[in-house]
Amino acid sequence: MTVHESGDYNALPDDEFRSQVRSFFQVRYPEDLRFLLRRVRMSEVRGWWNTLHEKGWIAPNWPREWGGMGLDAGKMVIFLEEIERHGIARAADQGITQVGPILMKYGTQAQKDHYLPRTRSGEIIWCQGYSEPNAGSDLANLQTSAIIEGEHFVVNGQKIWTSFAHEATHIYLLVRTDKDAKKQKGISFLLVDLNTPGITIRPIRNIAGHEEFCEVFFDDVHVPREALVGQLNDGWSVAKALLGFERLNIGSPRRPQYALMRLEMLARANGWFDDTGFLDRFTAIKLDLEDLASLYSRYIEQVKRGEPLGQDVSSLKIWAMEAWQRLTDMLVEAGAEDGVIEGAHDVAGVEIDFLSPFYYARPATIYGGSSEIQRNILSKYVLELPS
Amino acid sequence: MASEHAALLKESVTDFATRATDVARARALRGTVQEYDRSLWRQMAELGWLGVTLPERYGGMALGVTEAAIVAEGLARVLAPEPFTASIVLAGGVLAASGNEALKDELLPRVVAGEQVPALAWQETAGALDAGHIMARATPFEGGFRLNGTKRYVAGAAGADVYVVAARSDAGVVLACVEGSAAGVSVELERLADGRNFGTLTLNDALVPHERVAASGEAAAAALGRALDHATAVASAELYGVMSRALEMSVDYMKTRVQFGRPIGSFQALQHRAVDLYIQQQLASAALQDGLRELDQEPVAARRSSIASRIKARCSEAGLRIAREAIQIHGAIGFTDAYDAGLYLKRALVLAAWLGNATQHRRRYAALAFKGE
Repeated sequence: MTVHESGDYNALPDDEFRSQVRSFFQVRYPEDLRFLLRRVRMSEVRGWWNTLHEKGWIAPNWPREWGGMGLDAGKMVIFLEEIERHGIARAADQGITQVGPILMKYGTQAQKDHYLPRTRSGEIIWCQGYSEPNAGSDLANLQTSAIIEGEHFVVNGQKIWTSFAHEATHIYLLVRTDKDAKKQKGISFLLVDLNTPGITIRPIRNIAGHEEFCEVFFDDVHVPREALVGQLNDGWSVAKALLGFERLNIGSPRRPQYALMRLEMLARANGWFDDTGFLDRFTAIKLDLEDLASLYSRYIEQVKRGEPLGQDVSSLKIWAMEAWQRLTDMLVEAGAEDGVIEGAHDVAGVEIDFLSPFYYARPATIYGGSSEIQRNILSKYVLELPS
Repeated sequence: MASEHAALLKESVTDFATRATDVARARALRGTVQEYDRSLWRQMAELGWLGVTLPERYGGMALGVTEAAIVAEGLARVLAPEPFTASIVLAGGVLAASGNEALKDELLPRVVAGEQVPALAWQETAGALDAGHIMARATPFEGGFRLNGTKRYVAGAAGADVYVVAARSDAGVVLACVEGSAAGVSVELERLADGRNFGTLTLNDALVPHERVAASGEAAAAALGRALDHATAVASAELYGVMSRALEMSVDYMKTRVQFGRPIGSFQALQHRAVDLYIQQQLASAALQDGLRELDQEPVAARRSSIASRIKARCSEAGLRIAREAIQIHGAIGFTDAYDAGLYLKRALVLAAWLGNATQHRRRYAALAFKGE
């Protein structure tokens, strides 16, 4: 029985499912987009998006009634592992990973009918409007306001660090709808078309030289009342529902593999493994990543058993991101003068880009809740230390 | 089935650790010549723990390294000084893997019953991780071997009834059983940080008949290598028990100690410090769980050593760090002899060094991973 006939991937044995996914990726994913050392632009992966969409694989986490693959937790993990293994770039997929699941849980029938098919096809590309100039780590301090006037919300304010807003068609927003309520209580979740009058998008160049994130300004933007997801003033719970899985996903031990492989190749080519100083440092990082893999697989097993992830998953994000940074630091240092020459070049017969992995790893301890915020979470909810 | 055993065993160890012993007993036994309590050792035998990894024909439970680690971790949490890892996993493991069936039939049932406590005298040089460095000589004579040399860092030596000595003959390593009181054998003890002892065995023309030779040549080297890796993993589980308790003590203290009118656990500098210790403990736990599971599948020797080294490197480093910081988090009270935090630090010091510290194990891991190609 092939998948095509039954459509039920969960009925397949794990090995069979894995090999189907792997061979599809190997045959169809563009070779020049593997293991990118930066975040990919939508324009680069539009073709791949279409390939996945035609195959019916663009939304592995969505139920089949909405055109997803309907994967259970175990199969989902396999799918993600194969994505990482093949070095597939995660296209502007927040619509798939965030908006879809949120709408399925909190959306009205009309919202689901309108947005889900278009999100799947790539007609609508989403960006996330959470952070503001004065609401970064203190996200609940956000000030962008939405005031109800007749059949509309009127939105005023500014979002920032919005990844790929300049390539998106829509934004999902956290806005303040009750100024008098306690911080988290007066926030609502809105879906907004970026073509609405009054929205200005300005890309920001990052230290790697890429324009990945943007500022988004809202000046008397009239948004229909149907754009509200969930209850008015309940947007914080809507947004929070998905955070645990995000921290697990970010904690994958495969992300640092380019830097690790290159450093190992360089070390062999240059005989650095005979240098005890190098060997000790390299091995410590290698083992940091090995032990990360053990910790990661423990959480994966938990997900496969259908158990919810606790706040302790923050330790995975902290360790994964900090170990990744240590590795990229060491890569630059190992390159010495070569390590600060921009772009890919040949060192001792190894083609290597020292700086891109270094830059790529920098924001990892900032986005998705900074390492310091993750430590606060662990302190409060896991160690239960007083505040 | 395996996890069912593990769950039952865990329950029984936890119960024993709260009912039959405590840190006060460990404190009272430190620095004593007997080092541990024989009656408690026999209680452990009655529970079946002394045969946890040994074959059923000797009265053992024939379980895996995972189960041995459960016993060791539970005992380590309360700093019980009984030499489970040294005498059962290491010395018992070498004996069980050796080929002298008559000797095993005689010795192992008594080991499992707690009547005979063995210790392994294999090491001669500090920092050695395998049999390659052994210089003690086993010279053949009619009927057996004549042993000469000095064996050091023998864990569990203080209360041992029989020593399994590793020496080198022209045909490779010889593992031979000698009594401490035999002619040509002398045992001296060296006091360790944690109040236990390492033994030094001096062999001066000690005669061992063939019947007392457990294994020789390839078989002896294989038995030694396997037992050392397994004991390294189980010592790592002890470190995990020590670090877990030390972390609990520190976090509890942070919740109750008040300064500047607030519990010190409300200060972010200390909170983040405690979280970093928690992350180390989690990594140790995950590495240990994965590693033990794979060791129980009996991987080839190189892979087995690589796993043991990975576990010991993480647990040694995490254990020492957590125990050191426990002192800092407690402040001056943590530095007093009367407070338990110091006992945990001292146990971590000894466990981290015994059978190879973090640096040595990272180097062995590297030699296996990067040098072989």
